[in-house]
Amino acid sequence: MATDAVTATVATLRQREARRASAGLWRDALWRLRRDPTTLIALTVIGVMVILALAAPLLGDGFFHKTERDQDILSNYTKPTFAQAWLWLGTDELGRSQIVRLLFGARVSLFIGSFGALTALVIGLGMGVTAGYFRGRWDDIVVWLVTTLNSVPLLYLLLIIGVLFRLEPLPFAVLLGGLGWLGIANYARGQTISLREREYVLAGRTVGCTPVRLMVRHIVPNILPLMIVLGMIEVGQLILTESAISFIGFGIQPPTPSWGNMLTNASQYLGKAPYLIYPPGVAVFVTVLCLYLIGDGLRDALDPRLRGAK
Amino acid sequence: MLGGQYDITPEDRIALRESLGLNDPLPVQFAKWVWNVAHLDFGNSFYYQRPVMSLILERVPNSLQISLAALIVTIAVGIPLGILAALRRGTLADHGIRVFSVGGHAIPQFWLGLMFVLTFGVQARWFPIGSMNAVGIDCGLCWDRLWHLMGPVAVISIAGIANLPRLLRTEVLEVISQDYVRTARSKGLKEQAIIAGHVLRNALIPVVTSFGTILLVFFSGSLIIERVFNWPGLGRLTFEAAVNKDYPLVQAGVVISSVLLIVSYILRDVAYAWVDPRIKVR
Repeated sequence: MATDAVTATVATLRQREARRASAGLWRDALWRLRRDPTTLIALTVIGVMVILALAAPLLGDGFFHKTERDQDILSNYTKPTFAQAWLWLGTDELGRSQIVRLLFGARVSLFIGSFGALTALVIGLGMGVTAGYFRGRWDDIVVWLVTTLNSVPLLYLLLIIGVLFRLEPLPFAVLLGGLGWLGIANYARGQTISLREREYVLAGRTVGCTPVRLMVRHIVPNILPLMIVLGMIEVGQLILTESAISFIGFGIQPPTPSWGNMLTNASQYLGKAPYLIYPPGVAVFVTVLCLYLIGDGLRDALDPRLRGAK
Repeated sequence: MLGGQYDITPEDRIALRESLGLNDPLPVQFAKWVWNVAHLDFGNSFYYQRPVMSLILERVPNSLQISLAALIVTIAVGIPLGILAALRRGTLADHGIRVFSVGGHAIPQFWLGLMFVLTFGVQARWFPIGSMNAVGIDCGLCWDRLWHLMGPVAVISIAGIANLPRLLRTEVLEVISQDYVRTARSKGLKEQAIIAGHVLRNALIPVVTSFGTILLVFFSGSLIIERVFNWPGLGRLTFEAAVNKDYPLVQAGVVISSVLLIVSYILRDVAYAWVDPRIKVR
């Protein structure tokens, strides 16, 4: 009896395994993701946040009837109340609606995070793969650059740049990406060094593939899953860095709201309006947390061998 | 540098440009700066009208207090937590520590600091809301200083404690299944002796490497945390110099903090050799 049940279970498992074995990497990853509630929840939260951020101007006009810069000095320091939609999170010292500013802040944070991470990914992948593939002098230069930049505390460096230039979101994102590629480059380089000795790369070389083709078609696709995971985590880290720099006043400048500079404001009215401090911080925390969870989930989904590693 | 409302004669302007060395070509200015830095001379602060080096030397000990205390707290809390997570794998404690790790990475440090100031400083009044000492008290190491240290150190340590236990857990699990641990067990050693002498000793070796990351977090964090807690350290000095556009001081702040970071990397490598006697300096 029991043996029958076991045989049946094993048979179903085999069947399932066989069905999955024929699926490609991405189909397989999707299959795993669909069975991972934590990652699904995190994906949903980020998805909702992106939609809200994109729709912020529409919501501001049509639903809250306020823009992020509208001041209503008569209703300043209003405590959060459900009386009117624009007062859900209260108002600051100028009577600006915090909920609307929070939505517009999401635009800045998500844009800088994603665009910066993209920049970091492109630079890191380019530097790491070429360094690992060509080795020699170029490798020395890249390694030297990574080590040097790694020994400068990032926030101090950004402080200097913030003093000299006024940072708009796009240059700021590029700058953060331009300083945040070190970890990605290290990973890409290490992986490339081991992959370039594999038989299939050797096979490619024997049939006369150019180095570019070997890197783009044979090496990069193999490290791309890992890079996507690192990219997700990078988005989260850049959002944290952006909020920190904006908080000390050298990032996104008012009146453009960002979660960081909303907290600068809130920190000046801790006694009078303590409710201002919670929403932007929670927003950063939840966003970054979800991005990390997605990164973790993607790693498990894309490469089961890495499960539990790190 | 000076606003238009001041009576400035062209001669004054020329004299000022000359005194600040602005008439030299940029490469010459830079070479001079590097030469002076090599002699530990960062010039005079525009704002304080004092040598930058002496300003910084006054502040470095204050910053080191926070970093060292945070390092001690991180080790004192992080290592037991890491062992606990490994030994009680799969229990509530293990899951709790994992949740804390992920959360600790995702929370903005400065926001945590602000929450601390708001909750325990402004509202509950248990802790001071900033600075190093209460008014009228000036001491290096006393109860009052410790009381003021608790906020910043607690907040910075969170980042370290989020890192350390997770790494240590992996290493302990790796080591605990080794043959020499089984041998130690079969010799009849006490469990504590096995954990302390055989497991921890070996598990710590890779963990020491991770201290580079933790130190980097401490150094970057200090800039923000010193501002949140109004702590007169190197970070706040650099930050205020940036606000005042006091360029010599900002440059020096970045250079000195980088040097401190590199020195702590070297100390980490020394610690590495100390933890793992197989590594010899060649």
